Amino acid sequence: MNINQIRNFCIIAHIDHGKSTLADRLLEKVNAVSPRKFRDQVLDNMDLERERGITIKASAVALDYRKNGETYSLNLIDTPGHVDFSYEVSRSLGACEGVLLLVDASQGIEAQTITNVYMAIEKNLEIIPVLSKIDLKTARPKEVGEEIVSILGMDSAEIIEVSAKTGLGIDDIFDGIIAKIPPPKGDVNAPLRALIFDSVYDDYRGVIVYIRIFDGSIKVGDNIFMMKINRSFEVVELGLFKPEMTPVDTLGAGSVGYCIANIKSIHDVHIGDTVTLTKRRSTVALPGYNRPLPMVFCGLYPTDNTDFMPLRAAIERLWINDSSFSYEPETSQALGFGFRCGFLGLLHMEIVQERLERESNVGLVQTAPTVTYEILTHDGKIIHVDNPEKLPSVGTIKEFREPVVEAKIILPSEYIGAIMKLTDERRATYKSTEYLSEKRAILTYDIPLGEIIFDFYDKLKSLTRGYGTLDYEFVGYVPEDLVKLDILVAGKKVDALSCIVHRKKAEAKGRKLVQNLKKDIARHMFEIPIQAAIGGRVIARETIRQMAKNVTAKCYGGDVTRKRKLLEKQKEGKKRMKNVGNVEIPQSAFLSVLSTDV
Amino acid sequence: MSIHDHLHSLYIHIPFCTSKCIYCDFNSITIKSDIVDEYLLAIESEFQSINKEYFFKTVYIGGGTPTVLNETQLSKLLDIVSKYIDKSKLKEYTIEANPGTLNDERIFILKNSLVNRVSIGIQSFNNNYLKLLERIHTANEAKDTFFNLRENGFKNINIDLIYGYPGQTLNEWKMDLMESSRLDPEHVSAYCLSYEQGTPLTKMIDSGIFRRLEEEEELKLYEYTKDFLCNKGYLHYEISNFAKPGKKCKHNIVYWNNEEYIGIGAGAFSFVDGKRYCNIKNVSEYISTAQSKKNLICFSETLSQKKRASEILIMSLRMTSGISKIEFFKRSGLDLLGLFGKQINDLAKAGLINFDDERIKLTRKGMSVADSVMMEFV
Repeated sequence: MNINQIRNFCIIAHIDHGKSTLADRLLEKVNAVSPRKFRDQVLDNMDLERERGITIKASAVALDYRKNGETYSLNLIDTPGHVDFSYEVSRSLGACEGVLLLVDASQGIEAQTITNVYMAIEKNLEIIPVLSKIDLKTARPKEVGEEIVSILGMDSAEIIEVSAKTGLGIDDIFDGIIAKIPPPKGDVNAPLRALIFDSVYDDYRGVIVYIRIFDGSIKVGDNIFMMKINRSFEVVELGLFKPEMTPVDTLGAGSVGYCIANIKSIHDVHIGDTVTLTKRRSTVALPGYNRPLPMVFCGLYPTDNTDFMPLRAAIERLWINDSSFSYEPETSQALGFGFRCGFLGLLHMEIVQERLERESNVGLVQTAPTVTYEILTHDGKIIHVDNPEKLPSVGTIKEFREPVVEAKIILPSEYIGAIMKLTDERRATYKSTEYLSEKRAILTYDIPLGEIIFDFYDKLKSLTRGYGTLDYEFVGYVPEDLVKLDILVAGKKVDALSCIVHRKKAEAKGRKLVQNLKKDIARHMFEIPIQAAIGGRVIARETIRQMAKNVTAKCYGGDVTRKRKLLEKQKEGKKRMKNVGNVEIPQSAFLSVLSTDV
Repeated sequence: MSIHDHLHSLYIHIPFCTSKCIYCDFNSITIKSDIVDEYLLAIESEFQSINKEYFFKTVYIGGGTPTVLNETQLSKLLDIVSKYIDKSKLKEYTIEANPGTLNDERIFILKNSLVNRVSIGIQSFNNNYLKLLERIHTANEAKDTFFNLRENGFKNINIDLIYGYPGQTLNEWKMDLMESSRLDPEHVSAYCLSYEQGTPLTKMIDSGIFRRLEEEEELKLYEYTKDFLCNKGYLHYEISNFAKPGKKCKHNIVYWNNEEYIGIGAGAFSFVDGKRYCNIKNVSEYISTAQSKKNLICFSETLSQKKRASEILIMSLRMTSGISKIEFFKRSGLDLLGLFGKQINDLAKAGLINFDDERIKLTRKGMSVADSVMMEFV
């Protein structure tokens, strides 16, 4: 393939603005998928993606498009839209020369649109603005077009209006891609340089790496060399995504495809690494990616303690496909052996947990999420703490700092009042208000990350009837009056329930927490005090009374089997609970910290 | 083996009611006359299919409401059953009856049969609660039924009572117990209202229309029941059952002793030769299967020795007398302490069971949390 006939592009958009549907239409147009095999969201392979209707993983596909007697190879990389998956987006952008910026014609520009555009500008990519869902009655192409011009500084003449539903504008998109997005610049004759932008693990074939060739070419049988890992492998298969994996003999500069090279260990692949040839090495690595910093942490423990090793294997396997989460083993007195895992955000955490459970069959107990705190000790050391239990003793702490993010909230202006109240409750510092139009505004705040990881996004959505959107970026650590809140059940501290809170909120939070726990923990044969304490001082207490009556009144001939099975089931349920002292704590209790709305 | 070992018990299920009560999760449907006729034929054919001769010491016709059958059908039913009874071996023959269905003619039919014990589902003497449960009778009708039975010579009558209704006070329950003792029945079954999955009552609780009594409130009513009836000369012999001396229900004791029994009718359970099985529950399906002489069993289980041992202990703990070490070994073939020594020790320490090295039984406290105790033995 002549490099001048290759175009590599992404579609970037806010979540739900119609990315995957547009990708479906583009595929249909070039008959990449036979009508028999076609299904909606054709690029979203994970069950989880189809169930939730979102894209989690970036996905690549090669489209053959004929125009004026020429055949172009258009490589489309579908990207996720949610704020938590920006890392996936930035990786995909690194493999492209241009982007389609999709904006919903009725929703207008939203928080994630702006973030994505800035990422594309930073990488010097050609941006083609596209207004989607133009067929909807609620579409306001003119106003939204103006937003694109004024906020993103683009030319109104360049905006393409499409309806993925009716097919309107699809041809314009192909024309736009060919005309505006530059072909890749690589040198076919230079030593091989290919960027690993993603990878998956296959039980039979080992690691499959997704690559974008920048310079040179690669063919089956070549010996390739991974620059960071410093190891060589022999290429056994190369191919394109059409969208099924379709083997080819060679991949040349500019193309996007996959490479299978007998890579057995997931540790031998590093996303962002540069692949070159062992014999004809390039010495200059491609820029690669900045490792995203996990923002939210939680403990993940196997429900059944004997499942620790299967859980480890599952985590390692998932990590090769999503290296944006971190993990390290930890032990809890209450939960046994498990892992402390870091995530880019709450949705990311939820998705990873669900994928782990689905892809490995290991039941998980998750502890309440927390952020990383920074401690300045009296002797001048700085410590980062991602688990409340690892906090040094109060006496050694000079400054207790929490992570603060700059949050941009885009919303219809009529809801500003409600959001101001919410942000006030969340200890946010107001910075500015900008108007996108008469009716829509961007509010900017500095907010402690710990205040938004729980349910801020849900609250924002419900207070703005679904129209408000949020994006945030880490700013830094700020000293605050923070304390560790401990929970004692029957006099014993339950490490997995400890959390860090602002002193002003500690009492209310403690009270709410012990109330929730009282509901979650069943009555026992003895009375169970539940206490919330700061240091040694108890600030809230509830008591679970001892069991008074638990007896089946009627049990005759026909009830025996049922009764026995019921008792067996209850006993089984008890086994799944975690024992602290003599108290059986159900899994739901470890998440009660989450539902505490203080 | 003694003669006693050869005797079995017989249960016949009549799955019909005038209407379904809101707390009920039993196998019953609203009555339609023509289906009853077919059902009786089906029962008869099930009896005929038994290919072994049994001698019954106890018979129990339960439901549903057996007395909802019309007079002809009731006679027919008793007639069918009588063919399988050897009068000389029979000790106890109970039929369940509901006030409001037991008219003079039906009582006459019972009087002229082998039935020697009637169990009346009175539930409450408080018309408000009867209405809440959607029972079809009033308190006065219940009392009339009782006295009619007495006047017709029935000397062994049980009354079923329910307590623990949403909102019920101790005083209201005391009044029910006083009414009961004025009737002076030989046997009282006093059940705390239970909330079974899927019943209208449970839905009402879940949707917040009624509030279920607190455990402590239910306990107070239970404890009072025991004290009151024992004071009136009843023996508390099972979690919810009380009897005048010599009047314990022999049929139910068969269940609690894990002895064998034969069940006839839709959804009826049998326990023979160490195997427990259950008939098809759905009434029309039961009828059509019986008509075509096909297999009526829809579920069966043979328990391992250990599970059987655990059942023996659990069921006998329902009785205040519990079970002796020797009896347990005789029935299960296993050593009680070898099997449950640790649990017994822990539960005794917690004051929930009594074990004097000879006999194990629940303490008063243990009886109110019997399910939690029994869970240790599954």
